[in-house]
Amino acid sequence: MVTTLLISIGIISLISVFLALLMVIADATIGNYGTVKISINDGTKELEVRGGQPLLKALNQEGVFIPSACGGRGSCGMCKVRVVQGGGEYLPTELPWINEEEKKNQVRLSCQFKVKTDVAIVIPEELFSVREYTTVVEKIRDLTHDIKEVTLLLKDPAKISPKAGQYVQFMVPEYELTDESVYRAYSIASPPGDSSRVELEIRLVPNGICTTYVHKHLKEGDTVTINGPYGDFYLRDTDRNIIFIAGGSGMAPIKSMLLDMEKQGNTRKAAYFFGARSKRDLFLLDEMRELEKKMPNFTFIPALSEPQPEDNWDGEVGLITDVVRRMTKDGSNSEAYLCGSPGMINACITVLNELGVLPENIFYDKFS
Amino acid sequence: MKQTPEYDKIQENMRKGVITLDGFLGDDTRKLVDIIAEDTFAIHTHHTTKEAIASRMEYFRKEGELGLGEPITVDGKFEVRVDSVRGLLPSPFGGPGMYAKVNTSVLNKTSGKSIVYTDLHIHFIKDHGFFEGKGSPFRLEPKDLIEILEVPRTEEE
Repeated sequence: MVTTLLISIGIISLISVFLALLMVIADATIGNYGTVKISINDGTKELEVRGGQPLLKALNQEGVFIPSACGGRGSCGMCKVRVVQGGGEYLPTELPWINEEEKKNQVRLSCQFKVKTDVAIVIPEELFSVREYTTVVEKIRDLTHDIKEVTLLLKDPAKISPKAGQYVQFMVPEYELTDESVYRAYSIASPPGDSSRVELEIRLVPNGICTTYVHKHLKEGDTVTINGPYGDFYLRDTDRNIIFIAGGSGMAPIKSMLLDMEKQGNTRKAAYFFGARSKRDLFLLDEMRELEKKMPNFTFIPALSEPQPEDNWDGEVGLITDVVRRMTKDGSNSEAYLCGSPGMINACITVLNELGVLPENIFYDKFS
Repeated sequence: MKQTPEYDKIQENMRKGVITLDGFLGDDTRKLVDIIAEDTFAIHTHHTTKEAIASRMEYFRKEGELGLGEPITVDGKFEVRVDSVRGLLPSPFGGPGMYAKVNTSVLNKTSGKSIVYTDLHIHFIKDHGFFEGKGSPFRLEPKDLIEILEVPRTEEE
């Protein structure tokens, strides 16, 4: 009886070992696609990568960074690229993110699409200048009760060349809220002229993976990995008057644009409408007033929607859209730059249209 | 309760790492239909419905949006902020909709209690009666929602 039992256990063990070996061999052979080629933008750049890996990862390893807010987990839908050759069928994990128009244009979710044969892809040219940077946290300071300013000193590479208004992706390492590293996007608040530093303004979002990390765990001296710059939210080179509208951490790209304007000696007429609820939500007022002195054609207009009695506020009161409507006579010769939530952007666009600002002259960084 | 193959597939989509890093089930090992059924029962013990809860959530979402990203006082006793982070989420229940990562934070100034929910939560509750599994970092307890948002009773006692 015991002998039979032992023989049975032995046979089962042998079968298990055999199956495990079979899986290892299969992984090394069937799953081995060898080296495959990625041709980017009609051969502008040719890469040779290990086959079988997600396109996003293969590109990242070769120094081509595609924006992705979720770190390649297929949960943000940002990392779309056109795969014009070698694409094959869509995966079920891609389909929720791809609409019919994108299907016609062979758009794929690069974190899900695996490179198993030679492929040809099309990406925006500006992504060639995106790099990954190792940085050190030089300074953290509280701007308000829930917004921190984080200054990162670039180490490797030591310089970055963004346009004012663009954003970077901040890598959050594994910690109590995440089992693996993830990326989140933040606008650069520092001017492009300071190529050795990147300044970010980060508001605490309840349960937010990155914002909780920055507010509760990040310390001066810590190493942080970022990549970028990304985005087409930057100041257009025209002579039109400028209306900036942003509240909270939406100030970051506007501040970068204003500092750049000051450095470049840009004399365009500009007004920055900064909305907050009460005085405790306002920040960088001194810096903005200083800019007003340096830039005679610039006006800073902070407005409180619900000033508290202790605020002793004698400035503008009301929702920022109401203040813009009240203080702008004619927007027909203006262009507008907006940064904030989709709701805020939509409300502002309605008001700006009423004021005569042409839709093609309204630029925004919508957090969506 | 018996679960259909369709719900098996939906439950698979809710696992960690399929649509979101944390998934929607936490450490809850119950069948999806049982999770929904137990929360539905809990709602009924408070003499209300999932539709009434979702309607109240939508109300604060709409009113809070008027603050344009800043906190705003609603009905004199709620402090509401509606703001967003970058990104979109598809529902694990399928369908054509993508949901922006819009957070609605509601502080009931009378009780001092607060709650945060997203547009995806509103869809979950309104269309499916799903509040996420136990242990999910983003689970909403029906009782908390009913109390903090002061959801009105809709059923006779």
